Amino acid sequence: MDPQLLFWIVARATGVAAYIALCLSILSGIALRTSVLDFLATNRALRSLHDFMTWVWIPLGLAHVVALVLDKTAQIAPLDLVVPFQVGYAPVAIGLGTLSADIVILVTVTSWVRRRMDDRLWRWVHRTSYIAFVTVFLHALLSGTDFSSPLISSISWSAALGIGLLAAARIVFGRLPE
Amino acid sequence: MPSWSLKLSAVFVTLFVLVGSFDYAQAHVKNANAPLQPPVADKPAASAAPPTPTPVGTIGPLLTTRPGQRPPTGTPGPRLTLAPGVQFATLPPLTFTHTS
Repeated sequence: MDPQLLFWIVARATGVAAYIALCLSILSGIALRTSVLDFLATNRALRSLHDFMTWVWIPLGLAHVVALVLDKTAQIAPLDLVVPFQVGYAPVAIGLGTLSADIVILVTVTSWVRRRMDDRLWRWVHRTSYIAFVTVFLHALLSGTDFSSPLISSISWSAALGIGLLAAARIVFGRLPE
Repeated sequence: MPSWSLKLSAVFVTLFVLVGSFDYAQAHVKNANAPLQPPVADKPAASAAPPTPTPVGTIGPLLTTRPGQRPPTGTPGPRLTLAPGVQFATLPPLTFTHTS
């Protein structure tokens, strides 16, 4: 197979898989602290899953961006992975992905150094995960090559719906204390 | 539920999506409905000069006069207009009129 074609296919496949892994991470995180799901609050397995999913979506997300940089047709420069809205042909659609990556990296790094941080500050930074999810969803919707596929679209929308429902439940029924 | 089974299920779901997406992308390399269509950088046709249209040629009056004959009066005879792409040949004109 032509290497350029392989990069393109890998970028698409890892993009979808990273999105699903991120959704599972966010879903398990919201479920832990939503009052309507209080029976899950003490579930160590779910907490462990929330932490573990970081190690699933990070390599997938990295593979997604590295493959896009290597793919000459995509025309993504290494700087575009950090600075959003710089790509020449679809700055918003691609920039939203960069923005979500920036936020998710911030959330992940602050979680690793949580003990050294002010708890209230950490919580506010962690809440930006919602913004990250909205931006990553819009990125998938506006630039996802495979989003037109009924199967991939239904999986993506279902994951988004699940997160939306849990987030709404958290707003309506409240949040469980730490 | 033990922690490892939950993690294993999540990894399995993610891998299933990864492999499924890979297969789908491999089967549908080009998607005309994709929202993004990045411009192709190295178009060979873009650098080459566009082909110039062949000049439209015309052939003189179809009714010609023979030596010693008076030229026709009034409107000239019909002219044959060649379609673009039809070029004049460098071969000598056909003058063979013999019929058996």
